[in-house]
Amino acid sequence: MSVFLSSLGFGLISAAVLAIATVGFTMQFAVTNVLNLAYGSVMINSAFVTYYLNYHAHLNAWVAMIGGVFTGAVASYLLNRFVFTPFQRRNLLPITIVIVALGVDLCGTFGLQAIIGGSYFSYKQSLGREIHFWGMYFSTLQLIIMGICVVVLGLIHWLLKYTRLGKAMRATSANPNLARNSGVRTQRVISSTWLISGALCGLAGTVFAMNTGVFDATSAQLYIVLMLAAMFLGGPGSAYGAMIGAVTIGVATELSAGYFNPQYKEVIAFVVLLGMLTFRPYGLFGSEKTN
Amino acid sequence: MSVELTKQGLVLSTNGLSAGYDGRPIVSDITIEATPGKVVSVVGPNGSGKSTLLKSLVGVVKVLEGHVTVGEHEITNLAPEEVAMIGVGYVPQIDDVFPPLSVKENLEIGGYLLSRREIPGRIDAVLDFFPKLKTMMTRKAGKLSGGERKMLAMGRVLMLSPSVLVLDEPTANLAPMVATQLLEEFVRGFADFGSTVLLVEQRAKAALRISDWTYVLGGGKVVLAGAPKDLEQNPLFVESFLGGSAPSRSTSNE
Repeated sequence: MSVFLSSLGFGLISAAVLAIATVGFTMQFAVTNVLNLAYGSVMINSAFVTYYLNYHAHLNAWVAMIGGVFTGAVASYLLNRFVFTPFQRRNLLPITIVIVALGVDLCGTFGLQAIIGGSYFSYKQSLGREIHFWGMYFSTLQLIIMGICVVVLGLIHWLLKYTRLGKAMRATSANPNLARNSGVRTQRVISSTWLISGALCGLAGTVFAMNTGVFDATSAQLYIVLMLAAMFLGGPGSAYGAMIGAVTIGVATELSAGYFNPQYKEVIAFVVLLGMLTFRPYGLFGSEKTN
Repeated sequence: MSVELTKQGLVLSTNGLSAGYDGRPIVSDITIEATPGKVVSVVGPNGSGKSTLLKSLVGVVKVLEGHVTVGEHEITNLAPEEVAMIGVGYVPQIDDVFPPLSVKENLEIGGYLLSRREIPGRIDAVLDFFPKLKTMMTRKAGKLSGGERKMLAMGRVLMLSPSVLVLDEPTANLAPMVATQLLEEFVRGFADFGSTVLLVEQRAKAALRISDWTYVLGGGKVVLAGAPKDLEQNPLFVESFLGGSAPSRSTSNE
């Protein structure tokens, strides 16, 4: 029971980080039809901007995180503006964009490694005191990360459900041509989506690095597998599906790590991903049309 | 009908229009005109280019040659959102609503160009015209029946009080009774109020009943035009559209 509860605790914190990352990832896919496999490299580069501001500019890690969020937003916007959009305008096959994204991911990750080297880094930040409840253990830092996740997901819900921009984002995702016929300037909506989802990417990178404690340039390389699994579980393009998918994958991978070799915890995500692609490729909350 | 539902119509016209995909024309040398207070219909066999023609008017398909004007505005190859701003409301044949959005959200997106304060009043005006939608405001558009969905699609374009309504086969997949009601009550109603209505319709008889003028497309060109009562006397038209086979010049490139 204690292994189960402690693994569940780890699962909840992993799920919080994964949820922030996956919601941004799936928003990009939903609104712009880009499966941005470079998301992980933007995450880790943003985490390193936070590191620079924290370690070298001596800012508090939470304040430095603003730099990471800003970096994620700007990098994602520029990535769409100058890389993905020009390729999309050529009406190439969707797989071409995926390959381009993969190339950008490798450039972003190993370019960063070429600059900073292969060392491990960590933020100057206290974990805070340890809190026990219901057999689970959390540091103050982890509770703050979970709090950030709840607030961010609440804001995304508010954005999508109650704001003009959010409704335009959902309309553009559902039917871009009809959205344009209704007067929606979809290019502006798409740019806004990349800025917002990029900010989530930068935030996810920073809290991912905070949660892992030590990180290097390649730390987020396999993270894309978890995001894909969470996205396909919830339904590609569904922000709410991504939230549920992230919680499920986060908890499932940490529970499997509690009972089996932790090195293989990504395998459970692979299994879920393959299972969903085989039996329900439109996920739990997507429609067959999304597929 | 609410006096605020549509604006006074504008003349929609094309002159020598050719349009298509990847530089290849699907329709060519099309000169048509739709005037305020009239229903102008376009009929023709499958593949004659009817939908492509409408899409080229609203910026969805590229105009390769010729011009499209609405009132004083040249709208040739304007972006769809700019065409909407000028006052042209377009209801496509399929994918005419946003399925994951609720009925209310669909109407709000229809009024995207309005200020936040104007939207509730416009929604009320649309619901007065389509009272059936009042009971399903929170339902997802994807869960509506064919007739309800089409009402929502029309309600969505009415949110901007369009001067010109461009309707692509609004009765497709509807039961005959619902189709008749939609055409005679709603589509004819828009024109009677003063709007300009350009209607593409597969049900030729039903279209003629509510139209003031009809163009017949075949092989991407206008092959006949006239008032419905004149077309009903034309043997070629009668044979082809009111009970006979399709004209031999039709193609399947739509």
